[in-house]
Amino acid sequence: MRPTRTLAAAVVVALAWTATACSETKRKDDDNNPTQSAGPRKKGGEVTIANTAGQTWTCNFNPFNPAVYNTSIGFVYEPLVFVNALKDAAETPMLAKSYQWNADKTQIDFTIREGVKWNDGKPFTAKDVAFTFNLMKEHPPIDLYALWTTAGLQSVTASGDKVTLKFKEAAQPYFYAFANQQPIVPEHVFGAGEAQSKPETWVDKKPVGTGPFEVDPCSPNNIQYTANAEYWQQGKPYIQKVQYPAYLDNAPANLDLASGKAQWGSQFIPGIEQFYLGKSKDNHTWSPPVLNVGIYPNLDPSKKTSSNKKVRQAISYAIDREQVAKIGVGGQVPVANQSGVVIPTFDKYYDAAAVQKAGFDKPDPDRAKELLSELGYSPSKPLKLTILSITGYTDWDASLKVIKQNLKAVGIDLTVQTLAQQTFVGRLYTGDYDFAYYNQQTSGPSPYYELRQMLHSANTAPLGENAPSNFERYKNPQVDALLNEYAAADEGRQAEIVKEVSQFMLDDVPVIPVVCAVDWYQYNTEDIAGWPTEENPYAQPAAYNFPDNGQVLANIYSKSAQ
Amino acid sequence: MRFILRRLGFFVLTLWAALTLNFFIPRFMPGDPVDALIVRTRGRVTRESLEGMLTSFGFKPDTNLLVQYLDYLGHMFTGDWGRSIGQTLGEPVTSLIGGALPWTLGLVGITTVLAFLLGAFIGTVAGWRRGGTLDAILPPIFVVTSALPYFWVGLLLILVFSEWTGGLLPSNFNYDTSIVPGFSPGFVGSVLTHAILPAATLLITTIGGWILTMRNNMITTLAEDYVRMARAKGLNPRRIMYAYAARNAVLPNLAGFAMSLGFVISGAILIEYVFNYPGVGYLLYNSVQNVDYPLMQALFMLFTVAVLVALLIVDIATVWLDPRARAKG
Repeated sequence: MRPTRTLAAAVVVALAWTATACSETKRKDDDNNPTQSAGPRKKGGEVTIANTAGQTWTCNFNPFNPAVYNTSIGFVYEPLVFVNALKDAAETPMLAKSYQWNADKTQIDFTIREGVKWNDGKPFTAKDVAFTFNLMKEHPPIDLYALWTTAGLQSVTASGDKVTLKFKEAAQPYFYAFANQQPIVPEHVFGAGEAQSKPETWVDKKPVGTGPFEVDPCSPNNIQYTANAEYWQQGKPYIQKVQYPAYLDNAPANLDLASGKAQWGSQFIPGIEQFYLGKSKDNHTWSPPVLNVGIYPNLDPSKKTSSNKKVRQAISYAIDREQVAKIGVGGQVPVANQSGVVIPTFDKYYDAAAVQKAGFDKPDPDRAKELLSELGYSPSKPLKLTILSITGYTDWDASLKVIKQNLKAVGIDLTVQTLAQQTFVGRLYTGDYDFAYYNQQTSGPSPYYELRQMLHSANTAPLGENAPSNFERYKNPQVDALLNEYAAADEGRQAEIVKEVSQFMLDDVPVIPVVCAVDWYQYNTEDIAGWPTEENPYAQPAAYNFPDNGQVLANIYSKSAQ
Repeated sequence: MRFILRRLGFFVLTLWAALTLNFFIPRFMPGDPVDALIVRTRGRVTRESLEGMLTSFGFKPDTNLLVQYLDYLGHMFTGDWGRSIGQTLGEPVTSLIGGALPWTLGLVGITTVLAFLLGAFIGTVAGWRRGGTLDAILPPIFVVTSALPYFWVGLLLILVFSEWTGGLLPSNFNYDTSIVPGFSPGFVGSVLTHAILPAATLLITTIGGWILTMRNNMITTLAEDYVRMARAKGLNPRRIMYAYAARNAVLPNLAGFAMSLGFVISGAILIEYVFNYPGVGYLLYNSVQNVDYPLMQALFMLFTVAVLVALLIVDIATVWLDPRARAKG
């Protein structure tokens, strides 16, 4: 009953890059934004979110506290610029109406939007922006994206309606973090008392932000958000109330979605055809793929089997990915491919010919058998392998059962060992495993982010130490060089770099992608319209994706109110 | 008196041993609060920042374990239980427990008392009319139900009374999320309807034990000379049943009852889990999942103290009720 889960698939990243081609970029208010062309709507209506919280609400809305920030960012707190990871990093100006980089991208000037008010009536100014960043400098724990350390931020100053951020070196890769992820907080609240002296532990009961909604009221079982009547986007939000009940488990959340009691869902629904879609013609789902789920072999030379390329190649050839997606995850996710580029989300970066040339375009059990027989194994004398997975991840269990069968046919006897999540991640991070089934946790607006996390040697660590994201311990100077080059390259070259890196995925098989990880998203159109859809992917659609949720909240509307 | 002093000394010693184990065992568990937080923030936030944040919330893994231990002992007694470092990062542990405890006491506490009273009553009647209809039907049924696992009964009840009836009885949570808590009839009604299924589960699975022991005690007691004497005197059978037989038969069960009251506070973890009931048991489950040391410590401490206090009361009550215990002391 319990063991279903929210497949962790998220936006975001510590490292980011916006797809801007020229070195001097100026963005304007009237930037092309499909969501704003929809025309004004009448206000009214209510939406209920069913996103499993696993706890009752603490009614703390501190946007710097990672345990609660997704109930305040997007709703109440807003970023400078919204970057849409699903649409080639398309930008929507938010609190900054435009920005300008200097020639070598070490300095960025934001022009702050005038006429914006905090929901307590005080005006929003450039000083608030500078204050937010400087507060993070004084209190490293709230610098969640390591802007003052890794990104090399050196100073943030405000003058008039301009805010200037200066960096030690070219910082465009971090734009996604500081402009899109980082919410801006009011100086008149965070500049005094405990909020200033201990912003990381301060309890923000009544959040003062610029966003479309205000908290009113919050109880342990439910947060009710009401529309901010003074919101700076004229006429928005259309929806007047948002209910966010604290679901402790997926099952009740999914039941409420199926009955229509909740309209915005964000977790995996097993057997969705019958359980949800079949219940009403107004129930819809669209789960855009953002990351790969797959087998992480341990490449450390001390691991004789998993560091053997032939074994990894054999596994990748043997797996019938279509079958895994269909049986394991009920056909709810697309298949992945050995190049590591998630399609269709990142089609532009995908090199179909290279995948075909390497023979990974379809399962090839014969080739797998051949490779294994070179090593002296066969179905009658199988190679014994153990793979780690997480207890309660039922879709992974089912996927691994299919994989086990696929491998059995070519001469690999796979044993699946499920561990409690904490034990699992502990062993994965420190490299105490041979094979593990896992996925990267953070995605960005191009495959570069995932590939960098997965393959760059800066993201790994020796066995016994915590690796940030390169768990398989892949080290290749050529790949490092390519990934390092990406930040300074132009758009065309960036696509080439991704293709070149994915060639290493095909050649070295450092990780074996099997299926895609998606943003789980279900929506009901009986009364609410304006949802992000496959045709109009104006934001990442899950309720836990911030600040994307702010875009969705400002654009959905009630049909009965029109 | 010496007996009670000895018991008190034993109480203190046990408490210390339990507190010590409470401190060390969670730290030997696999997993690390930082890793757990990284997983829950979907890797969005840097490890350094999370470590810094946990440090501000009082998590200092690098200090000497002995110093941590002494700090911990002091804090347990002063009630300064720190802040959660797990799923509810930053929330004071006292307010978390304060929010969950009333629900557990209400649900599990009332149900435990109810199960005992009902069980004792049914057992009395069944023992009194040994071989009667009631005795032929109820005890065998409850032998079966008391052997059923909690969670299975819970799931069955959810299926029958919630899913099949189209949500007639709520199957999760402590009250309807759309109601703002307060002393309104709607809220109270909602709390009660939400308690029906979990309470029924608990009742069904625990009542059998009380019935059986009570019935058997009754039968033994009914064979005693003073019961025969009462009958010979021609007393009202009702009076014999309650004042002579039941009153004596219930004594051995009282100790068990006091014990089970001690266990009320630890909640029926599985019940709270199946019904998503946000009580102390659910809190404990979450704290273990997220390697939330401060919350785990405080909860374990409460559980230990509750059981130990219950035991102490049983000991003292025994001394008071049973002259033989006094004589030995």
